[in-house]
Amino acid sequence: MAEPRAMRATLAPVRRAAETTVGIAALLAIWQFGAPLARMPEYILPVPSVIVVKFWQTLRIQAHHLGVTAATTLAGLGLALVVGVLLALAVIYVRPLKGIVLPVLAAFNSIPKIAIAPLFVIWFGLGVEPKVLLAFLLALFPVFVNSVTGLGEIEPDILDLAKLVGGTELRIFRKVRLMNAVPYITDALKVAFPLALVGSIVGEFIGGNSGVGYLILSGQFNLDTPLVFATLLSITLFTTVVIGAVVLLERILLAWRPSRRKR
Amino acid sequence: MTGNSVAVKVEGLTKAFDTGTAVEGLTFEVRENEFLTLVGPSGCGKSTTLRIIAGLVPPTGGKVSIRGREVRGPIGDAGMVFQSPVLLPWRRTLDNVLFPAEMRGKRASQYRQRALALIELASLGGFEGSYPHELSGGMQQRVAICRALLLNPSILLMDEPFGALDILTREKMGFELLKIWSASKTTVLFVTHSITEAVLLSDTIVVMTARPGRAKAVIRVDLPRPRDVKTLRDPRFVELSGTVRDHIEAQWVE
Repeated sequence: MAEPRAMRATLAPVRRAAETTVGIAALLAIWQFGAPLARMPEYILPVPSVIVVKFWQTLRIQAHHLGVTAATTLAGLGLALVVGVLLALAVIYVRPLKGIVLPVLAAFNSIPKIAIAPLFVIWFGLGVEPKVLLAFLLALFPVFVNSVTGLGEIEPDILDLAKLVGGTELRIFRKVRLMNAVPYITDALKVAFPLALVGSIVGEFIGGNSGVGYLILSGQFNLDTPLVFATLLSITLFTTVVIGAVVLLERILLAWRPSRRKR
Repeated sequence: MTGNSVAVKVEGLTKAFDTGTAVEGLTFEVRENEFLTLVGPSGCGKSTTLRIIAGLVPPTGGKVSIRGREVRGPIGDAGMVFQSPVLLPWRRTLDNVLFPAEMRGKRASQYRQRALALIELASLGGFEGSYPHELSGGMQQRVAICRALLLNPSILLMDEPFGALDILTREKMGFELLKIWSASKTTVLFVTHSITEAVLLSDTIVVMTARPGRAKAVIRVDLPRPRDVKTLRDPRFVELSGTVRDHIEAQWVE
């Protein structure tokens, strides 16, 4: 009795992967064969095979525009990471600042950044600057909030313990705060990255002549719907790679965390 | 065993909060290498007293001196064990025990041998490489005790360290602590509301009154050491437990 059960356990992940693959394949099949049956014209909803062919044909253009978007997105995200952590440190170490920085940021966060995007075009033109700025502003808040929690909310007993053996704030920062903040910051990255991407793409919608946002707009102007879908495929691939990288980083840095099953 | 010189002197200690007075005019002495326990009902300011002695909280009145020097801030060479183990979840057992060395700015490698010896003494051999979440509550608390002893603190402060453990583990931990303590013989200031624990572990018991906390009685525990399970059945143990209980219950009538 024990043997088949053990085998079932080892095969479980394989089975789960198989189920997912079959599920997705079924959905694609319905799309592929259902759309023509419903007499859906290609400029409304192109079928998956057409999208893949289009993606393949436009690979070079896709790569170029995705490269531009990736650069502004990651620059904005990187900037948000640096500024967010620094602001969090300022709030934690300079107590009076908390009363100023938090409400200002919260108020600013309540403005939809996308609504002020046209302003950035007026101020900074059609280059990469407004895109990076938008990506940065959208990504900043989650990074800041999680950094304040991760760096600031340390078990008071641990801080007392450190003080009782002569721990300096620098040592506490390096050995306690920073380590405590790692899972909060990787979590923030998973939220902030898609937001930064939104910032870049909206920036490209508004002005300029490069990036996946621009490519989607040009597909719309020419009623080249397969191009729009092919570009969405590019974006999905990019997102998958970045989120995958963050998850990998978590596996390396957070090996100490109990596995999900145990939690 | 217990030296004659005074390690900690608490004189007329008073701590008032906005919500009321926690401790009032508390006076007692801890001698060098003595195991002294503060016993009293919940909320009688035991923990507050411990934190004041550690220099983590300033008193509103009275004073604390350690080896003749008045305490005016975190005392700098104390070990502390809290009710919960508060281990760093990203550190393995050995690195958690080495934490105080790093906080003092020492190279952890210098203390490796001592840390491993403490871990062995605390019956944690084989768990040096385990993360806290892989250990039971009792084991985690033993790691916390090793950590508190790493730097050979001149005073070990224990704030209801076994309060969060189940009753059976708790009893076992008392004996474990005695074993670890007998190897270092540092001065210990222990806080508990368990009479059994107090009598089993201590040289001296200070019974505190209900809020605001004052010293109601000082009881010398003359049970021979080393103490073990048999001590619990010693008539003298039963008698002393009764004395402590009488002092605590006397307050209920008042």
